[in-house]
Amino acid sequence: MASLPTEPPAGASSSSGILVGKLQELAAWGRRNSLWPFNFGLSCCYVEMATSLTSRYDLARFGSEVIRGTPREADLMVIAGTVFIKAVPVIRRLYEQMMEPRWVISMGSCANSGGMYDIYSVVQGVDSFLPVDVYIPGCPPSPSAFLEGVMLLQKAVGQEKRPLSWVVGPQGIERPEPPSLRDRKREDRRRTMILRSPDEV
Amino acid sequence: MLHAAPDAGGPLWPLVVYFLAVLLLTGGIVGVSWVLGQRHRARTTDEPFESGIKPTGSASQRVSVRFYLLAMFFVIFDLETMFLITWAIAYRRVGWAGYGAMVLFVVTLLVTLAYLWRQGALDWSPRRPLPARGDSPDGVSPH
Amino acid sequence: MAESPDILGDLHSRFPEAIVGLTPRPPLLAGEGVSRQPTADGVPTVWVAAERLAATLGYLKHDAPQPYRLLYDLTVIDERDREHRAGQPASDFTGVYHLSSLERHSDVRVKVALTGEYPALPTITGLWPAANWYEREAWDMFGVGFTGHPRLRRLLMPEWWEGHPLRREHPARATELPPYVADAGREEREDETLQFRPEEWGMHPRRADHDLMILNLGPQHPSTHGLLRLVLELDDEQIVDVVPDIGFHHRGVEKMGERQSWHSYIPYTDRVDYLGGVMNNLPYVLAVEKLAGIEVPERVQVIRVMLCELFRIISHLVFYGTLASDLGAISPVFYMFTDRERAFEVVEAICGARMHPGWFRIGGVAQDLPTGWERLMREFLDYLPARLREYDRIVLNNPIFRARTRGIGAYDTATAVEWGVTGPGLRATGLGYDLRRQRPYSGYERFEFNIPTGERGDCWDRTAVRVEEMRQSLRIIRQCVEQMPAGPYKADHPLTTPPRKERTLHDIETLITHFLSVSWGPVIPPGEACVPVEGTKGWYSYYLISDGNTVSYRTRVRTPSFPHLQMLPRLARGCGIPDLVAILGSIDYVLADVDR
Repeated sequence: MASLPTEPPAGASSSSGILVGKLQELAAWGRRNSLWPFNFGLSCCYVEMATSLTSRYDLARFGSEVIRGTPREADLMVIAGTVFIKAVPVIRRLYEQMMEPRWVISMGSCANSGGMYDIYSVVQGVDSFLPVDVYIPGCPPSPSAFLEGVMLLQKAVGQEKRPLSWVVGPQGIERPEPPSLRDRKREDRRRTMILRSPDEV
Repeated sequence: MLHAAPDAGGPLWPLVVYFLAVLLLTGGIVGVSWVLGQRHRARTTDEPFESGIKPTGSASQRVSVRFYLLAMFFVIFDLETMFLITWAIAYRRVGWAGYGAMVLFVVTLLVTLAYLWRQGALDWSPRRPLPARGDSPDGVSPH
Repeated sequence: MAESPDILGDLHSRFPEAIVGLTPRPPLLAGEGVSRQPTADGVPTVWVAAERLAATLGYLKHDAPQPYRLLYDLTVIDERDREHRAGQPASDFTGVYHLSSLERHSDVRVKVALTGEYPALPTITGLWPAANWYEREAWDMFGVGFTGHPRLRRLLMPEWWEGHPLRREHPARATELPPYVADAGREEREDETLQFRPEEWGMHPRRADHDLMILNLGPQHPSTHGLLRLVLELDDEQIVDVVPDIGFHHRGVEKMGERQSWHSYIPYTDRVDYLGGVMNNLPYVLAVEKLAGIEVPERVQVIRVMLCELFRIISHLVFYGTLASDLGAISPVFYMFTDRERAFEVVEAICGARMHPGWFRIGGVAQDLPTGWERLMREFLDYLPARLREYDRIVLNNPIFRARTRGIGAYDTATAVEWGVTGPGLRATGLGYDLRRQRPYSGYERFEFNIPTGERGDCWDRTAVRVEEMRQSLRIIRQCVEQMPAGPYKADHPLTTPPRKERTLHDIETLITHFLSVSWGPVIPPGEACVPVEGTKGWYSYYLISDGNTVSYRTRVRTPSFPHLQMLPRLARGCGIPDLVAILGSIDYVLADVDR
């Protein structure tokens, strides 16, 4: 994918003093607790994303206090919905107009892989042309699932080391290895014996 | 030079220090922000944001004269404010004569404001009927 | 639904040379020599020659007694692979014109047989301005031209797309086409294609002393409620013209119908009006049941009505909250979404999912209502009215809200019917027409409810009509709760899917039929059916054509938001941008409903 931003080779060291390291941690802590999403909804998943901004789920208490209408001010682009082939240049342009640091969450089955829409007008997954940090499964993912995805991203953002200045200092981005929650939750799922029957509420 | 004239009301050097401090603060904020953080530049990063589409036309086109009118009104009434504040600082010294002059000034501008209001110069989005489009008979464009 | 054999007799006497006869002649109805194509839904269907199409439709629209003034749908069927055509005229592509009469409470379908690979029809934009987008869509999807159309361009697919997707030879799946590879050249080219060129649309932005500004209220904008692009031509802050560019939300739902079995298509219907939930399943399963000849038990009807009305409330709450928030009232949307959460508790308890339950089935519903559902539903019914009263106070009668919506985007009933506007947008003009009352389906005739109407047809009236509709929906749901009949939740019919399981493990014939129905899918007998319902946004239907297969031959989704959005340029010309935002919010469209 020639259009992705270039990353430093794996294993490049960015340590150049304890001070720089501590400052990077401080910056990462600030970033993880103030992820401002971009007001970009594509499809049905956007309604669940909007629901997670409202009172019952309240994304604002995780630091996403404001949702920005312009990509220049936003940190987080949530691809909430199906990725239509007519909309790809639009999404790409908006992503390029976002300022660093920026992250992408792919929300919903359609954005993850095309979902149930294996059809001529839908791109099979937003990672065909955008780098994705977190994938949230669901059709649509409930707001709780979306919040879990945001919390995962926050954890990852808190562990990142990004350059403090584009003028001086180490220039690579160090990211933690993204965990697979399917593997992490496997034991829990196996242990679940009692499933609630749908025949009564 | 840093010692003021006898009736100017105080020394001048705190003002100079204040001016330098402001320069330092703003310069620092802008400068340090410019240096910090990451940069990236992709194909469309520097283009204007227009909801994800490449803009049509340039930003420096000939805009309607209504914007100029509104800007002029703003400047005039803003200068009025400036004069009022200047008077407010020195109102004791200029006494009743100054007060009278100010009242005259404000009343003149108030009359002007009433005139503009009645003329409709402050109406921003008037509902004026549009001429029918050439494409279709009843003004309903066949888009 | 009453049939109107006299309209076909009428047409036959006035345009004898226009009517294309069917061979062999089907049984004659009362009246003479009327060749009528039998359909499963009983809609009078007649074939006319292309040269007399305009005259026939003009007669139906203006001169026929109780005329058919509403253009309900205009589409094309690709007949080249179809086997069971029951004596219909030879045709490669059939143009279908579906008209509706608000006085007769019935429809008529006029079909035109076309031959050739890329045939053409005469345009009817002179008769109905609403035909504009329908013809563009037919050209885009089938390659059928419309001579005389003012601007025949693609509507849903990107400009650079080659081929016409709904033609039988066009690949359906993305995996049958080369995968999307993003390289800089491709993105630049697509950017260029998307850029607006005013001269292509007859616009001349250079004026004598100033330029008009071309501004994209683009696909990414909070007020467009989705991926809708509006290109505005602005004279300082006044809109001179608007060009909507849709298709950013096209998911090929109609093509998908040709690849999914009758049963596995149900989840795709959920996502057409994505705020409507099971309201979307209803027109689809009603049409399939018409084709299959299934009569559902009373309990099924009442359950369906109850859940549809609940989703009407859910959809209207989103409309209400987002309109208020577009106009600057930020708080109400939080309250209304909280109410939605209460409603979703009920939906999740009954259907198992929140937004897209996909819970209706061919011949019934997926499961019976769980024990204890009444308590949940009554709690919701007791909870909402007080909240609606509060919203009346803080939103509907708010002076700022009133100032921004009264008198904005107004149109009268005649205009609404010209443009194919249905649902609350039509009722706000003063005409109390509701399919649930005038053409009841699924047992609506046994419920008592009022039809709210407005006066001026402006944004405020549309909002007030929807608010009152929420109250009437609560009334209907309460009646459902009190009158819920006992009984089975699935019809006892061989084509019910999934079939009833009681006798499956007792005899081998039932087991075989059950196995085939679950694995392969039900084989629905050949025919055509279309059952319009009063959806959350207007008249909504699935026109299904079966070729005696497990898969639909043609699935035409007629959605209400498509004609509503087409009317936008007419409403927005001369307004300022803030008024445009109010109009957009008051139309209450959903992009998946527009583009499918």
